[in-house]
Amino acid sequence: MKARAELIAGIVVVAILAAGPYLSPLIHVDLSIVSEVLVTALAVMSVNLLLGYTGLPAFGNAAYFGLGAYGAALSAKYLHVDFIGAVIIGTASALLGGLILAPFLLRRRGIYFGLLSIAFGQVFYFVAYRFTDVTGGEDGMNFPRPLVLGHYAINETTFFYVALAAFVGCLIAFRTVVRSPFGRTLVAIRQNEARVRYLGLNTDRFIFVALLISATLAGLGGALFGLLINFAYPLELDWHQSGFFVLMMILGGAGTVWGSLVGSFIYVIGKDIISTQTSYWQLYLGGLFVACVLAFPRGILGTLLARLNARPAAADSEPHG
Amino acid sequence: MTHDLAPQLFNGLVLGAFYGIVAIGLSLIMNLTGTINMAHGSFMTLAGYLAYTMVQRGMSFWVALIVAPLIVVIVGVLVERGLVRPLYKREPFYSLLMTFGLSLMAEEAFRLIWGPNGVPFSPPPALAGAAALGFMSFPTFRIFIAGVLIVAIVALALFLTRTRFGLRLRAAVQDTEMIAALGTNTQVLYAVNFGLGILLAGIAGVLAAGMLGLSPTSGNALLMPAFVTVIIGGMGSLFGSIVGGLLIGMAISLTTLFIPAASEVAMYILMAIVLLVRPRGLFGEEGIFG
Repeated sequence: MKARAELIAGIVVVAILAAGPYLSPLIHVDLSIVSEVLVTALAVMSVNLLLGYTGLPAFGNAAYFGLGAYGAALSAKYLHVDFIGAVIIGTASALLGGLILAPFLLRRRGIYFGLLSIAFGQVFYFVAYRFTDVTGGEDGMNFPRPLVLGHYAINETTFFYVALAAFVGCLIAFRTVVRSPFGRTLVAIRQNEARVRYLGLNTDRFIFVALLISATLAGLGGALFGLLINFAYPLELDWHQSGFFVLMMILGGAGTVWGSLVGSFIYVIGKDIISTQTSYWQLYLGGLFVACVLAFPRGILGTLLARLNARPAAADSEPHG
Repeated sequence: MTHDLAPQLFNGLVLGAFYGIVAIGLSLIMNLTGTINMAHGSFMTLAGYLAYTMVQRGMSFWVALIVAPLIVVIVGVLVERGLVRPLYKREPFYSLLMTFGLSLMAEEAFRLIWGPNGVPFSPPPALAGAAALGFMSFPTFRIFIAGVLIVAIVALALFLTRTRFGLRLRAAVQDTEMIAALGTNTQVLYAVNFGLGILLAGIAGVLAAGMLGLSPTSGNALLMPAFVTVIIGGMGSLFGSIVGGLLIGMAISLTTLFIPAASEVAMYILMAIVLLVRPRGLFGEEGIFG
């Protein structure tokens, strides 16, 4: 019953999204902003897997996001790969970044994990910031959007459908992962890691795989984001960006499959609208953090789901803590 | 290049003492309540700007050096009581997000009040100029900074080890419930502890404004090195924060001298090496936030 409701709601949401090119002018939003919502949602999902499901404060995922963007940008600019190649190289760079950082991050849990994520993530920021000759340094680097297979150009509408396809594919994969025995184990680790260990499971190994999935997901989001704006800049890698991803995750609903889309939608569209009205966007953003933490700790979708379900929410829609 | 070495090393030590004192403030708050205070840098900037305004209005630097941090402590305790306290029962990342939001708002507020660009904040005439240290000369203000930071760290160490309150504070880090059961008001402990961390940030903020410049983001620039200091020194160890800070300060100033492009990355490399050899940091205690 519940699964069918989710399926129907999901189809409706995707159908509305698919009509994006016709709907976005109605709310005075650029189609590219809706594409941004979709690719950002991938990065939010990557945080959700670690923080919402596994309980690890992932405050460094902008590193993977930025690696994806820079991977795509650098390979398109210097190696002249095509669109698909840029996406693959971008995602692979993020996965590589995850492989390098995971051994360090794995050693710790709780806020120490958060501290390590913030600190190690910042390395990539300074690398991008300093290698001015290659990356353009603080100014960032722009590059022409590569053609698919060297022939077919991708315009904003086509890009939107590419982003939508990537989002739907990742959402289905994400849902499958978190509902699999592997995903259930991650939730169990969040609830009581010692107990999972007593059951004979190597929790480090589970977290290692979760980290890699998360890095790949964020990297794909970053690669597509880079290709969307045809630009890569160091702030994509900064810990502020990581914090924004966490905010979006909380805003949508930690530990919910669709929460990432809700959070990303509110943040990206809200930012687009508010920053045209005022130059003090950051003041509102900070206020959003404070309000969200105090009033909406379960997030919008998390609160809604808890209301809808008269019985206690299922493990995966249960809010954090 | 080698004749630059001695002043550069001393510079590194002063810079490192800054990182150390900011890291100690962060550690105090982190150890007792599990809150990673992302707004720590904003409190430093606020202290700097308050001192700047006081000096502008004709007050003496010495008064500003004492009063500005105290005002910031009041703001800090109000923030702790009003906004952070409700989050102690929740997962620690909520308080991280809260203080992150506060720092974003503070940054914009600084921009609105004091302008988007940096403001000049120079040390008083008595501390201007350079002092000869025998083999080299060094800016007097930096020697003064080193002195103040050393006094602050010694005073803190004495407070924590020699007073009843300090003893309770350290006991609460070990076992808050037990301390509460024995009749200590832990809410007062939390507030004082937070204020203490902010006091260190405030003092460092005023001094840093004079040495490193004052702009809406200047405090936040010290935040990341302070995080790395906590990790290198080991969480839960004040001594570790001092050693970690000095190490990073030296590493940064040496790489600035020899490989300028790598100056920011140096501390992260140092952090990675320390973590490989000692996963808990140099003086990290077993079992605290393991």
